[in-house]
Amino acid sequence: MSLSFEKCARKIFCKNSHCVQQGIQQISELTYNSRSMPLSTQSQGGDDQYVLVASLDNVRNLSNILKAIAFKDHALFNATRNGLKVTVEDSKCLQANAFIQAEIFQEFTIQEDSVCFQVNLTVLLDCLTIFGGSTVPGVTTALRMCYNGYGYPLTLFLEEGGVVTVCKINTQEPEEPIDFEFCSTNVTNKVILQSDSLKEAFSELDMTSEILQITMSPSQPYFRLSTFGNAGNAHYDYPKDSDMMELFQCTKTQTNRYKMSLLKPSTKALALSCKVSVRTDTRGFLSLQYLVRNDDGQICFVEYYCCPDEEVEEE
Amino acid sequence: MRFRAKMVDVGCLNHFTRVVNTISKLTKTCTLRLTADNIYFMLSDKVANGGVSMWCELSQANFFDEFQLEGVSTEANEIYLELLPENLARALKTAQNAKSLKIKLTKKHCPCLTLAAELPSLSSVSRVVTHDIPVDVIPRRLWQDFKEPSVPDFDVSIYLPPLKTMKNVVDRMKNLSNHMVLEANQNGEMNLKIETDLVSVSTHFKDLGNPSWGDDGSQGGPSQDRVPEAMAHARVDIRKLQQFLTSQQVNPSKAMCNIVSERMLHFILLHEDVSLQYFIPAVA
Amino acid sequence: MDCMVMGGNVKVLAKAIHSLSRIGEELYLEPQDEGLALRTVNSSRSAYACFLFSPLFFQKYSSLKSPVFRCKMAIKCVQAVFRSLSSLEKTVERCRIELNSEKSRLTFSLHCKHGLLKTHNLSFQDSENLQAVFDKESCANVLRAQPKLLVDTVLHFPPSLEEVSLSVSDERVWFRNHVEEEAEQSKAMLTELCLSAEEFDHFAVGTHTRITFCLKELRGLLMFAESSGLPVSVYFDEPGSPVVLSVSDSVLEVNFVLATLSEDSHPRNHNDSSSKRLPAAPPPDDFMNDDIDSYLIAMETSELAGGSDWQPPPQPCEAGVSLHRDRVASGEEEEEEEEEEEEEPEEEGRPPNKKFRSLFFGSVLPTCSQMTNQTLRSQEVLASDSDDEGSASS
Repeated sequence: MSLSFEKCARKIFCKNSHCVQQGIQQISELTYNSRSMPLSTQSQGGDDQYVLVASLDNVRNLSNILKAIAFKDHALFNATRNGLKVTVEDSKCLQANAFIQAEIFQEFTIQEDSVCFQVNLTVLLDCLTIFGGSTVPGVTTALRMCYNGYGYPLTLFLEEGGVVTVCKINTQEPEEPIDFEFCSTNVTNKVILQSDSLKEAFSELDMTSEILQITMSPSQPYFRLSTFGNAGNAHYDYPKDSDMMELFQCTKTQTNRYKMSLLKPSTKALALSCKVSVRTDTRGFLSLQYLVRNDDGQICFVEYYCCPDEEVEEE
Repeated sequence: MRFRAKMVDVGCLNHFTRVVNTISKLTKTCTLRLTADNIYFMLSDKVANGGVSMWCELSQANFFDEFQLEGVSTEANEIYLELLPENLARALKTAQNAKSLKIKLTKKHCPCLTLAAELPSLSSVSRVVTHDIPVDVIPRRLWQDFKEPSVPDFDVSIYLPPLKTMKNVVDRMKNLSNHMVLEANQNGEMNLKIETDLVSVSTHFKDLGNPSWGDDGSQGGPSQDRVPEAMAHARVDIRKLQQFLTSQQVNPSKAMCNIVSERMLHFILLHEDVSLQYFIPAVA
Repeated sequence: MDCMVMGGNVKVLAKAIHSLSRIGEELYLEPQDEGLALRTVNSSRSAYACFLFSPLFFQKYSSLKSPVFRCKMAIKCVQAVFRSLSSLEKTVERCRIELNSEKSRLTFSLHCKHGLLKTHNLSFQDSENLQAVFDKESCANVLRAQPKLLVDTVLHFPPSLEEVSLSVSDERVWFRNHVEEEAEQSKAMLTELCLSAEEFDHFAVGTHTRITFCLKELRGLLMFAESSGLPVSVYFDEPGSPVVLSVSDSVLEVNFVLATLSEDSHPRNHNDSSSKRLPAAPPPDDFMNDDIDSYLIAMETSELAGGSDWQPPPQPCEAGVSLHRDRVASGEEEEEEEEEEEEEPEEEGRPPNKKFRSLFFGSVLPTCSQMTNQTLRSQEVLASDSDDEGSASS
């Protein structure tokens, strides 16, 4: 606690010493409260003091989509009036974003144009699923998520069957996410597939191969995934007229390699999704966009960007 | 010293199997005590040594159609055995659709508890599976080590919420912390709490109800002077609580917890004719 | 070689490969005129398995007309081609297997629903012949059962159990867990299942005998037999000579040849100590109908009775450790064959039991047509004593 808090405190100290005072008080209260105070005394004042309040009748609509990007501990939350964007990165080469639109929430109140904070995603997911994340119909966990601004913890109120859990997760200094500069005008090739057809391929990938090679081409083999492992090589070819292929827009033959270790986490998103869009740009950067339908039939998106591993001579 | 028992009802067999499964998930080895009326599974890791204790009692008449026992002597008509409950659980697992099951004390290559199950077959002759479970016979002079654990005066006694809910919460909390505080009051409220550098989590149960332990004082119930809202708490190793909750194979008809402030948690589960007590010591 | 497997047979092929993977680490592939042979042998060379798929199994089958060709590759690589058995059934329409000996490449092409084409190019090595010599027809005992019966049987034994003993009389079959002698035995739970001969499709017992073999391979075969629903035949003889497990129908023949423990390795005191070769378990009928006085085995009450006079107290240690130790000490301690390695924990993948030795091949000579150099060489390998690590891997 002390480390992240100190970092936050130092930062705020320059701008607003009053905030620091409040922050310290909040933390000490937090420690004190969790010893003995009943629930009612923990939410100080009304909601108006929070810069962000978001409520959900079914916490799974948030926790599921966060699971799709949970491959590193640190997650950057960026809330705007449009909703919540959660970013996780690995090795400066991979970035995953989950978008949860404001409409998904039953309540989404934000006092500033943009609210940013960073939390430990593993901890957050354990908190969100504190009641087990039941999939039994009719049994849902309701969530109220509040954030008081810089230097404060993220507070969760979860309720299921009359049992209430209060979580205070310490926030950390937000780090600037990488801009992959992936721009739709620079997209060379794009296909949209039903996820089922890729799920099989990804579950069977030869993990002894260090890379996954993706070939997209207006001519044969159209869309090909290749691995080069200890035992030999394997190719998965999807014809462009397959009924799993919803869209096929390839202008130029492109073969790029991506580190298997980087792409593997995207399987989590794939598993939840119903459709996936695969795009590459002129630089060989890969964009994977997953369309995820939640328990209530609403649509959210998860997006992965990945740098190419090395350039491959085009045939 | 002789023992022989027979079970023919499949419901009894299932129930007995679940009890044994619970025991085998709670402990690696235990003491089986057989008396003319009851069967006991006991674990006596002393609370003082930082371990947990267990005391499970069931009435033999509710499970067995035949039950014949000759103890070490007429005045001490009991048998104490030490065994691995996992062996018993495994043996019972293969006897699940048995037409009949016999359990007896035998002398094979070593003293054994032998289970013989008559299983349905494709022919007129039944299949028979027998399991010889090695046991150690505990001599009488050591019996005194296996007394029913005495419960110190507790500060609060409360009914537990559905164990599955509690298990879910404890499972998640275990991911976040090694210790947790369980606290409750005489007003039907119970809280589970953890706190680490990263996060604090508290789960609040209410309207749970408090068992009444009578006024005779023999059970050492909470003092009448106690303020109902005052919490009594104990900090425990989460893994021990998790193991207890994970082991449960049946939803007991009654589940309660007695808290001896900062000393121990005493859980009591009642399911029809079976009672299970479990003691988790508090840590500093 | 170039062959094509259609629809449901792809799953049969896949199951065969998964089944072989339970036994060995390398897959030996040999296209023959009489069909495609897939074989493997375990690392201690005490178990051998062979699937022979006849040309009729395939929609199209052409073996090489050229000289005999054999190759081997890591079995897990081939397994990876057929990774998900459940989706295989739903999605794969046909599978083509091509062997390109010049490029040393074996290609599996899976043509799946929705036009998806999966191509796996596997590299391989040339290999010696792998051919166990056995003559199941001459075995004194033959049992045949539906796979379910044997599946139900092995379910009674824990997954960790390595070896099982099988004994037969004129009317019954007993399966027991095999427990190593020495200290182990006092700790281990002994399980015995008794089946009536009537439960078997075929029951021909020429000699009352007890054999002990590895359970892992039996499980491997049952996995295949259960999915194909084909009955399993068990051919066996004296302890020490191999047991052959067979499954066959019109388009395939499966033989698993497993070493059995030699006679002197059997624990004498498994269940009744009087047993020599014959199982001496009490007849099940009596056992189930016993009454307390005739069947209860009384523990010596004097020895165990309470009070202080029964015997000098052992140690002031934990409760209840004493009795069986005394029993073992006083009793049967005349094992002659000591195994130095017993105390060491078994490494994974190590030969399961050092006592299985040169069991396949002592008695039966290769048939004349097989008398090539390669056969002799391979036989040499297979016949090696598994106690000797050096020659086993030659």
